[in-house]
Amino acid sequence: MGASLPPKEANLFKLIVKSYETKQYKKGLKAADQILKKFPDHGETLSMKGLTLNCMDRKPEAYELVRLGLKNDLKSHVCWHVYGLLYRSDREYREAIKCYRNALRIDPDNIEILRDLSLLQAQMRDLTGFVETRQQLLTLKPNHRMNWIGFAVAHHLNSNVAKAVEILEAYEGTLEDDYPPDNERCEHGEMLLYKISLLEEYGFLERALEELHKKEPKIVDKLTYKEQEVSLLVKLGRLEEGSNLYKALLIMNPDNYRYYEGLQKCFVLYSENGKYSSDETDQLDALYKSLAKEYTWSSAVKRIPLDFLQGDKFREAAVNYIKPLLTKGVPSLFSDLSPLYDHPGKADVIEQLVLELEHSIRNNGRYPDRTEKEPPSTFLWILFFLAQHYDRRGQYDVALSKIDEAIQHTPTVIDLYSVKSRILKHAGDFSAAASLADEARCMDLADRYINSECVKRMLQADQVALAEKTATLFTKDGDQHNNLHDMQCMWYELASGESHFRQGDLGRALKKFLAVEKHYADITEDQFDFHSYCLRKMTLRAYVEMLKFQDRLHSHVYFHKAAAGAIRCYLKLYDSPLNSLTEEEDNTSKTPSQKKKMKKQRKADRAKKEAEEKSEESSASGNSKFGKRHIKPVDPDPYGEKLLKTEDPLSEATKYLKLLQKHSADSLETHLLSFEVNMRKQKILLAFQAVKQLLRLDAENPDSHRCLIKFFHKVDSMPVPVTDAEKLVWSVLEAERPFISQLQDKTLSEANKVFLVKHEDSLMHRVAVAEMLHVLDPTKKPEAVKLIEDSSNKVVPKNGALGPVMGWKLKDCIAVHKLLDKVLTDQDAALRWKVRCAEYFPYTTYFEGSHSSALQNSSNNLDGETTVNGDASHPGISGSESLATANGKLEAFKNLTI
Amino acid sequence: MGGGREVSVSLDGVRDKNVMQLKKLNTVLFPVRYNEKYYADALASGDLTKLAYYSDICVGSIVCRLEKKESRSVRAYIMTLGVLAPYRGLGIGTRLLNHVIDLCLKQNIQEIYLHVQTNNDDAVNFYKKFGFEITETIKNYYTNMDPPDCFVLTKFITQSPVKK
Repeated sequence: MGASLPPKEANLFKLIVKSYETKQYKKGLKAADQILKKFPDHGETLSMKGLTLNCMDRKPEAYELVRLGLKNDLKSHVCWHVYGLLYRSDREYREAIKCYRNALRIDPDNIEILRDLSLLQAQMRDLTGFVETRQQLLTLKPNHRMNWIGFAVAHHLNSNVAKAVEILEAYEGTLEDDYPPDNERCEHGEMLLYKISLLEEYGFLERALEELHKKEPKIVDKLTYKEQEVSLLVKLGRLEEGSNLYKALLIMNPDNYRYYEGLQKCFVLYSENGKYSSDETDQLDALYKSLAKEYTWSSAVKRIPLDFLQGDKFREAAVNYIKPLLTKGVPSLFSDLSPLYDHPGKADVIEQLVLELEHSIRNNGRYPDRTEKEPPSTFLWILFFLAQHYDRRGQYDVALSKIDEAIQHTPTVIDLYSVKSRILKHAGDFSAAASLADEARCMDLADRYINSECVKRMLQADQVALAEKTATLFTKDGDQHNNLHDMQCMWYELASGESHFRQGDLGRALKKFLAVEKHYADITEDQFDFHSYCLRKMTLRAYVEMLKFQDRLHSHVYFHKAAAGAIRCYLKLYDSPLNSLTEEEDNTSKTPSQKKKMKKQRKADRAKKEAEEKSEESSASGNSKFGKRHIKPVDPDPYGEKLLKTEDPLSEATKYLKLLQKHSADSLETHLLSFEVNMRKQKILLAFQAVKQLLRLDAENPDSHRCLIKFFHKVDSMPVPVTDAEKLVWSVLEAERPFISQLQDKTLSEANKVFLVKHEDSLMHRVAVAEMLHVLDPTKKPEAVKLIEDSSNKVVPKNGALGPVMGWKLKDCIAVHKLLDKVLTDQDAALRWKVRCAEYFPYTTYFEGSHSSALQNSSNNLDGETTVNGDASHPGISGSESLATANGKLEAFKNLTI
Repeated sequence: MGGGREVSVSLDGVRDKNVMQLKKLNTVLFPVRYNEKYYADALASGDLTKLAYYSDICVGSIVCRLEKKESRSVRAYIMTLGVLAPYRGLGIGTRLLNHVIDLCLKQNIQEIYLHVQTNNDDAVNFYKKFGFEITETIKNYYTNMDPPDCFVLTKFITQSPVKK
């Protein structure tokens, strides 16, 4: 490096490099300028100066200098390396790899460049390249532990497990017998465990077990040792040894469900779907009874039998499980039991037995067949449980009466208000749910969980501004809203995006959805540091697991939601481009008063923002003597207006669609969106592909049916193909159509009818058929409307005595209303539907049900007078304070300062 | 006495983060809505104001105010003491009152007093058990309750250690 320079300058050049490595950028810059004074065209110095400037936030200059340096000295590996580093710092990994490769062409054995290259290859999953580079590194420096390990991991990632094991063993061969020294025992143990997990992965079970036993003294992580051992024993069919080891593990942690599962496997009493013969059930029962004696402190051992027991035995076990927890007051009891509600009949048993407990406690304060009295709180927890039970069963009126009774009994328990809020949400009254959640929040201002829950309810009720304010109570000071973004608070961004979308503010909705997408990109990015860190620290099992997690990162549900949300925004934007919400433009979907409100709101926001910025500036200048403060770049497009101005919303949508297709291929929604996007893009074959995927996933789904009919209806109405490409498309469809069983020998109308006959009792299927009836023949609108209105809401059979549960879901009924109103445009029918549904869903604000907060402000209203318990005659009460306040300030209850 | 089992009762202070608990209690316990000054005094009284927790459920409170007397000394005024109906008879009120008496003893506060409506025999008897005495009767103390008169109950703490 710097070889072409005279000695003095060569030393200066070394100083630049050293200053860069030690982050003393100013010093480096000075040295660079000194060289450049004498040799203004010296390429490597120019490059290094650029790299230094890059670290001082002077990017444009940096790129200019680095490029100039390279131009002046194309044969320098330093210049190429620096260029690569510059790209890497901007996350342009493909470009960076190219630069490194050029550098290596000049200096093939440069270890530093090879190492940097290998990191990028791991990041980009260029696995063959990664193997090659790691091999080169090992050949160059075989005395380096990290190079052996890196080479092995590279082969493992490249699916050559056997080779990876071979390398690790060769590495072990280079070690002395007394290896490792004390300060490297953990690392060495991790390496051994990694090797054994490789052997297991490759199916060398005997050898893995042998190796494990042989190396036991050198393995530090004893728990993993045991878990690895038991896993191998079970795979080898040595079940008795396995069961003994599981029992030993249970002594260490008697609440680990995986140990119980493993133990069941050892007794050949395990089934994936949780179904057992009565004989097996008896054996399991006996097994858990004996385990319960051994692990008396375990709650898992008491809970698991509820999953497999049936009938009277279930009932008995459930009573014994539930009673002490109600006495103790365990708020999570219902969520603990709620998986049982998916087992046929168990919910009824639970309902019955808890009602018996309620009855007994209400009348004499005792559990049945007990002489000792229960503490007063038991009754409260029974009511609390029942409220959640009836909520789960959709009997919202009963649920609300139970929770109200509980609140009257003990008005200070926060969970009661949270549950009431949740019931109201399920019942369809979002604003009442939000205000109850706010009431719960006020009862403990230091609890982030209830604060977050409240924010979520507010967003569901479309109170975005209020939600934002509430959420920022728990963010750090400074730029509060951005802080939520920095914390990657995705549930918030998703809920906020959905709310903006519902309110027609596509710009802000997109902003939020794309923010989530960005978080996932960041998470992918974050793995970069681990490629070198994990090899050095030897946390290899965790490292490989992390890489696998990263590979399926985008199939995570939050990403799916965000991408689907963004695609919907773009679809809407495409369908009604005039609706883009720039202030000047007309916005047809909103009433003038709403528009005015939004405008005002936005103005206020902007003014606030400006004020904030100003105050920030002034405080920043005040702080300037404390050195440079990290100044966040201001978002140039806070309301997503620029996003809305995209030329081609569909191609934007396609970007996210591709990610969904790659990572969520088994989700119906993915292909529904693909259908919508590709139909609009006139990509007939891609739309057809979506239809086929939908039929593959669920041919009986109403939406699949819709897409199928819509697609072929569209195809049938297309003009005769002219161009070769069109003819090709045509011939593909001609060839494929006979293979779609739904359409064999049938017209579309006939297929539609067949679908109806098959699913006559299902509301959503009938609605889909009706909609398609209208699509195929617009004159059949009355018939379509009649088909919908003739649907009947049947009572779901269940033997509870406390009122019937209807089969229709609120969400579906709202969708039907929108269809009648907007698609079939039959206002009378929509109104009839609304009246009918208001009856089914009396708490729903959407249908303005009689109990909803949309109509009245009584039952669920919080600000109203709570009935005052005027009983002042009990011991322990002293009458009070000056009474001028008797007609007290109610606002005080709401305006708690925080 | 209800409650066959031993359930732990614990006391906790009132802070701005949980003052809503106290407000919730007061709405059901007393026929009066208290103003902000009441809560400010409560927060200012430090350890003399406590919430009682019955197995982690907030079920009662004692709320005091510190008052300066002429001669530089301080006295404690019990603004409210109450326990939710289902949790009465479990000794929680006793626990709360004893806490305040003990604390006054420790901090050398020599006088505790409070007002009780004249017809509230239960309350008067309750306080008498702890050594409170009727020191005054005030006519027409309450504006919209019947009877409108109240007793002033006072306990002087000087020499005798508190009986538990």
